[in-house]
Amino acid sequence: MISGYLDGLEMVLQLGTLLAIAGGTLLGIIMGALPGLTSAMAIALLLPVTFGMPPVMGIGMLLGALCGAGASGSIPAILLNIPGTPSSVATTFDGFPMAQKGEAGRALGLSIVASFFGGVASMVILSLLAPPIAEFALRFGAAEYFSLSIFGLVIIASVAGKSLMKGLIAGLLGFFASTIGTDPITGVGRFTFDQLSLLTGINLLPALIGLFAVSQVLKDAFEYDPSARLKASEHRVDIARPRFLETLKHWRALMAGILSGSIVGPVPGAGGSIASLVAYDQARRFSKSPDKFGTGHAPGIVSVESANNALLGGALIPTLALGIPGEAATAVLLGGLMIQGITPGPMLFDNHDGTVYGIFLAYLVANAFMLLIMCLGIKVFIRVLMVPRKQLLASILVFCFIGVYGVDGDTFNLYLMLGFGVLGYFLNRYNFGTAPVILGLILGPIAESNLRRGLQAFQGDWTPFFTRPISLTFLIIALLLLVITILQNYRARRPA
Amino acid sequence: MKKLLGTLTLAAAVVAAPALAADYPTKKIDMIVPFSAGGGNDTFIRALQPLLEKRLGEDLVIRNIPGGGGAVGMSRAVSSRADGYTLLAASNAMLTLEAMGNVAFTHDDFDFIAKVVEEPYVIAVNSDGKYKDLKSLVSGATSDTPIRIGSSGVGSSAYITARAVADITGANFNLIPYPGGSEAISAAMGNHVDAVVLGGSELRSALKSGRLKGVAMSYAERSDSLPDVPTFQEQGYDLTLTVWRGIAAPKGTPEAVEQKWVEAIKQIVAEGAYDKTARNLGTEVSPLYGEKLDEFIDHSAEVMSAAAGDLAK
Repeated sequence: MISGYLDGLEMVLQLGTLLAIAGGTLLGIIMGALPGLTSAMAIALLLPVTFGMPPVMGIGMLLGALCGAGASGSIPAILLNIPGTPSSVATTFDGFPMAQKGEAGRALGLSIVASFFGGVASMVILSLLAPPIAEFALRFGAAEYFSLSIFGLVIIASVAGKSLMKGLIAGLLGFFASTIGTDPITGVGRFTFDQLSLLTGINLLPALIGLFAVSQVLKDAFEYDPSARLKASEHRVDIARPRFLETLKHWRALMAGILSGSIVGPVPGAGGSIASLVAYDQARRFSKSPDKFGTGHAPGIVSVESANNALLGGALIPTLALGIPGEAATAVLLGGLMIQGITPGPMLFDNHDGTVYGIFLAYLVANAFMLLIMCLGIKVFIRVLMVPRKQLLASILVFCFIGVYGVDGDTFNLYLMLGFGVLGYFLNRYNFGTAPVILGLILGPIAESNLRRGLQAFQGDWTPFFTRPISLTFLIIALLLLVITILQNYRARRPA
Repeated sequence: MKKLLGTLTLAAAVVAAPALAADYPTKKIDMIVPFSAGGGNDTFIRALQPLLEKRLGEDLVIRNIPGGGGAVGMSRAVSSRADGYTLLAASNAMLTLEAMGNVAFTHDDFDFIAKVVEEPYVIAVNSDGKYKDLKSLVSGATSDTPIRIGSSGVGSSAYITARAVADITGANFNLIPYPGGSEAISAAMGNHVDAVVLGGSELRSALKSGRLKGVAMSYAERSDSLPDVPTFQEQGYDLTLTVWRGIAAPKGTPEAVEQKWVEAIKQIVAEGAYDKTARNLGTEVSPLYGEKLDEFIDHSAEVMSAAAGDLAK
């Protein structure tokens, strides 16, 4: 194994490979930071470039894009309250309030360092424990996925909104929206109104951009105040630097992020979107001052961002160990692996030519480049806030349109984005929150299709949902969380 | 310096050549992939992209237009101008959509330029499971408990093939649709289903790692890529189908454009430049052009529509 790592190191420590990784990371950072552009697109763009390259170099470049985009989604989340990717939704909870206090530089500094630690820790876990974790992920059948999504729904309701009831309502709204489109089991169209674009359901990206970006632009436009320009310039650039010690000080939040990312991340299809929420929820529950979460509290940012990059390492586990990608970005990455002639599977880890170790090390190097580029860029990013509000709002809207149209060139999605923008504006105004809607939209199909798939596989018998141990565990935890949250809300309303 | 000169000469040659031929192409060409990035269709064309660009001398812009199991992107392709600057990365999905009656177009609305690669459909079981071959699956399925067969989404070509397998073997299959091939594979690895029916390239790493075992495949004869997997034919079932991928254009595309593409692809095939990549992707280069291609497409469309049966609208 040590000789494997030495061989791998030799493959990584070559000028061409290092440049390729750095280039991939830079592209990933740019695309992750622009709302509407995703890491999957960055990897797909780079894919043809990697053909002529040796495996570690090509895969290293793709991993760089994955890692860069995973970290940079937090930039617009913190600065503008607009998550660049679905997994940075939870970054807005504390990142934006901190930025509003004039400490955007501090929030960015925390998120960069937390992302780095999350990424490195997950790679260590991946290199040591990938095969057993992958085996565990295989035990997830329909019942387990269903219970996991119910657990996710309860977490959404408890973290996202100020009121449990309103959070649940917003989450169910997302659940409802997710039923639009082709029925996952019978193939019948539901609420599609003969609209071709609705056949695959509500596209996640227009909904995300609408609910977060367009609604935020609307809010800012309605509340536009010419004197606010002065306020923007109060942002202190001098505090914008990476925050190593401060991040380590919040080690509980960091651990919560790394563990949730590494444990929930490997579950294909479900992990990515909820790992950061689970991390946020855990960090808050084990915090001595849970009330401060949501007001610009540092551990909130640390937990989410470390989870965000830890889950990438987590998602690589089933991709490398089983050849099963968890979501879009790792699916494209798998294509890259196969083109290179690398067959994912357990024997990849027994391989003695060092390629797999080269891949691990390349991911570590990608994390280092991510840290470096983000640290160099932090003072540039923060200048976004110096742009006068008027011009900023207009350019955000332009990026939203380009990003959403760029996905598939379908104008219908632009209307969808605007519709969700208006919906998001009112949801925020009446304190329902927009995060539960998007998470409902993500978890809805997982819950529905697995409930029905399970019932079909168990021939109409619903008891396996309660008798299978993993499934039962999730349901019990979900119930406990719900009870605890209700009790907490009850106590908060009746101060002693 | 020498290298730079070489590059320049090559570039000049590449730019000059098409001008002599038929002036095509003079600008970048849009290639519609009717699925999201990372799928079989997408990887197929992205791997071919640099080779095609070199021969055609123009950029190929890959546009992923997912939705409706390929319906959205294909509809877009059909309604594009037939000038050779909008083409489609085509596959079985077109014929399945047609068979299901979900779309307004048929395969007659396209000019097929080339079939480039193909792969078989494979039915595979968990290597540690209780079913070891097609025979035990079929006989096991006739008792009260049907055999759970995973496949990709309802109406996908793999799903329709799974139905065709159920029809032809007469076995009691409980077909469970998953959103995509990888979800179905992980269900088979975790013993949540008894078998899966999927394209060979999707199953490639699972088969190669020995987690899953192929028990039958849909070629007429055994293939070098999966030498241990017997065909349906040799096990007594008359089922021959292939997953194919190629290039199509909207109906009425000029003959000269088609020739240009056929030449480019023939050249790539002759040089063997795509062989290794195709093999790595779990497919085989099996080119087909002109009338033979049209016959092949017509035949596949018939088989698909027969298998879709009562699923169709």
